[in-house]
Amino acid sequence: MLMPLDMLRTGEVAEVEEVSGQPAWVGRLAELGIRQGSRVRVVQSGTPCLLDVNGCKLCLRGGECSQILVRPVA
Amino acid sequence: MLTKTLTVALVGNPNAGKSTLFNALSGLRQRVGNYPGVTVEMKKGQFTAGGVAIDLIDLPGTYSLAARSPDEMVAVDLLLGRRPEEPRPDVVLSIVDATNLDRHLYLTSQLLDLGEPVVVAVNMIDAAAAQGVKIDCTALSAQLGVAVVPIQANKGIGVEALTRAVLDAAESGKAPAGPKFPAAFDAEAERLQADLGGDVPEFLTRRVLLDVGGYVEQWLVEKHGAGLKQKLTDARQRLADANCGVPGVEARSRFAWVKAAVTAAVSRPAERPVTFTDKLDKVLTHRVWGTLVFLVVMFLMFQSIYLWAKPLMDAIDGTRESAAKLIESHMDQGPLRSLVADGVIKGVGSVLIFLPQIMILFGFIAFLEDCGYMARAAFLMDRLMSRCGLSGKSFIPLLSSVACAIPGIMATRVIENRRDRLATILVAPLMSCSARLPVYVLLIGAFLKDGYPAWLPGLVLFGLYMIGFTVAPLVALVLKRSLLRGAAPVFVMELPAYRRPKLGAVLRRMTEAGWAFTLRAGTIIFAAMVLVWALLYFPHTDPSGRSYPTRIEEAETAAKESEEKLKELKEKPDATEEDKAELEKLEAAAGEADKLNGEWKRQSLLGRAGLFMEPVFKPLGWDWKVGMAALASFPAREVIVGTLGLIYDVGDVDSGAIGDDEADDDAKAKATGLATAVKDDWAKDPVRGKYGVAVAASVMVFFALCCQCASTLAVIRRETRSWAWPAFTFAYMTALAYFGAFVTFQIGSLITDALR
Repeated sequence: MLMPLDMLRTGEVAEVEEVSGQPAWVGRLAELGIRQGSRVRVVQSGTPCLLDVNGCKLCLRGGECSQILVRPVA
Repeated sequence: MLTKTLTVALVGNPNAGKSTLFNALSGLRQRVGNYPGVTVEMKKGQFTAGGVAIDLIDLPGTYSLAARSPDEMVAVDLLLGRRPEEPRPDVVLSIVDATNLDRHLYLTSQLLDLGEPVVVAVNMIDAAAAQGVKIDCTALSAQLGVAVVPIQANKGIGVEALTRAVLDAAESGKAPAGPKFPAAFDAEAERLQADLGGDVPEFLTRRVLLDVGGYVEQWLVEKHGAGLKQKLTDARQRLADANCGVPGVEARSRFAWVKAAVTAAVSRPAERPVTFTDKLDKVLTHRVWGTLVFLVVMFLMFQSIYLWAKPLMDAIDGTRESAAKLIESHMDQGPLRSLVADGVIKGVGSVLIFLPQIMILFGFIAFLEDCGYMARAAFLMDRLMSRCGLSGKSFIPLLSSVACAIPGIMATRVIENRRDRLATILVAPLMSCSARLPVYVLLIGAFLKDGYPAWLPGLVLFGLYMIGFTVAPLVALVLKRSLLRGAAPVFVMELPAYRRPKLGAVLRRMTEAGWAFTLRAGTIIFAAMVLVWALLYFPHTDPSGRSYPTRIEEAETAAKESEEKLKELKEKPDATEEDKAELEKLEAAAGEADKLNGEWKRQSLLGRAGLFMEPVFKPLGWDWKVGMAALASFPAREVIVGTLGLIYDVGDVDSGAIGDDEADDDAKAKATGLATAVKDDWAKDPVRGKYGVAVAASVMVFFALCCQCASTLAVIRRETRSWAWPAFTFAYMTALAYFGAFVTFQIGSLITDALR
């Protein structure tokens, strides 16, 4: 099931399926490791939220998270 | 054997430990390089290794070479040898974080495309080992095709091996090859290269295809016309059709390459252990506990700035005073002495007085940044700041501005987004700084103390601070919606692992901030102070042609001579009529110097300007005296107290004595005298007598909103590298202040009428 990243709750892990939005923004997220196929764990939900991407903590805002579609991993 | 000087560029992600390695390599021989038209600074260091002189350039931390702004383009141009100031680097030194290799190697893969020798330094190898991550540097080197050296920059471990690798790379001059892109992309890049011609390096041709709307595209479209834009759109469409659309193709190609390299060379435990950082973050990023800790940290920070800076500032002020006195007693009276004592020494003093605050604040900022807490603070404050269109990173600069806008504006360097940074710089001077306090205290003391409830002065003071706290975010919001409008800034921030800060690095940041302020902003502040001195000094002769300074000196001498007599007469128990007349005469003579000084200032160029501009001040309820004092205080707002003292014939009042219980009695008496003198003078006037409170409120609102601080404008000029932004700040704040004062007086006088 696909859902926007901001729907995930604290502690949930998901695989990124698609990042939409402006190319510059998509590019920046890819540089930071958020791109199709990468795994993210929600450390703290809400806005801004905290994500764990490959052992590195990133902080994003809710509006921006909603442009990232993910598939939750059980 | 190499004989020439080698140029080495140090590149890495933010938080990779770049500055630490830079300091470890170059020691104390550093200087800051500036580049015209951009706000970035790059540090340069020199050292010798194996008999070869090496110039090391520290590029700003970046996640990739996809330039989005002129600031980011400087780094790319420098690496390609396209900046006239610097030669093309002989070796690119790529520093990566061992605990986060996957992401950091992405930038390395871009550096491999530059066509220059590259050496990779894997930093924080100890932290990786602690997490159970094992890195086989030989295998990694084979995968990447360049030398890979494990280091611990903070302890200097591996630095020698690293310099050797850099020398070897320079000698061989062998340029590595980066990751392979799909053939369709290479074909499009070749096609575009043929169109663009030879003066655009291949690296940039590939970038312009990849970075939609990036800086290279803007630059090339401007150069080659709109036809290129169409060509780019077509080429990108063809790429999308061939299933390698931009920008996805870059991330896919590079990360696949990175993954292959990491798989071959790195072994990780199956489960990532919970680190110290994770445990600490449970508290420090918690919405409730984290915010509480943040508030305590901020309180301690400002309390220490206040407590530690105060004695230093007093000492600087004292030195300034005694230096001025020394000059006055050793030089002959005349314009030159006045220039040195009142213009030069006071000017230099007013620059140096900010130094303690700036250095202490930067010490704190460096400490909080180096240990990793700053990102957590920005995370916590982001929700609040996003309401006014800014991000969490603007919070600390704005809060620092409550003490003084200058360190606050300098602290905006932590904000990467150019528009956010500008908006923060432009509203920072609206925050009520400590220099406004004497003005508030003076006017509140004169008009709201007697006959009003005891809580009113405090409430008014609170209200004046609230003006800054509410207007600044509103202006930021307006700016972000108008002048600084643009694509919503991408707010994504990394929260680095906590680290122990190094004392040396903190001290270095403190001295750098101090020097930057003294040298570059100081000169402008100094010039402004001398200008105001001149406007208040000339013309310095009265209508009969006698010089005011001479007359004042004579009056002072006379007053000193009769001091004994005056005291004697005052204490005489059975005073005759004759004695009383004598006493009055002597008392008048004692005040003569102050009176003359006032007369001189009134007919000075600035005084005449005040009289001339009286119609402008009228709607604010001001007379020319208040107007002139406000004019004189444009270079530094605390000057108003002294100027008012001169205009109201009380003598030179020390603004520091207002509200300071420890000030000496004479200074305190003068400060109280000024409040009384202003009140008495206004009582005689029909407008100000009736609407005294409204006028006082209008003056205070004007001071709350106006940018009366040459130092602030000088720092804005320095930080934005343009005169346009300080001019804009000055204009909008003056307009806002005039409007605010106008509304305050008009409403205030209506209320006064209604109550009557």
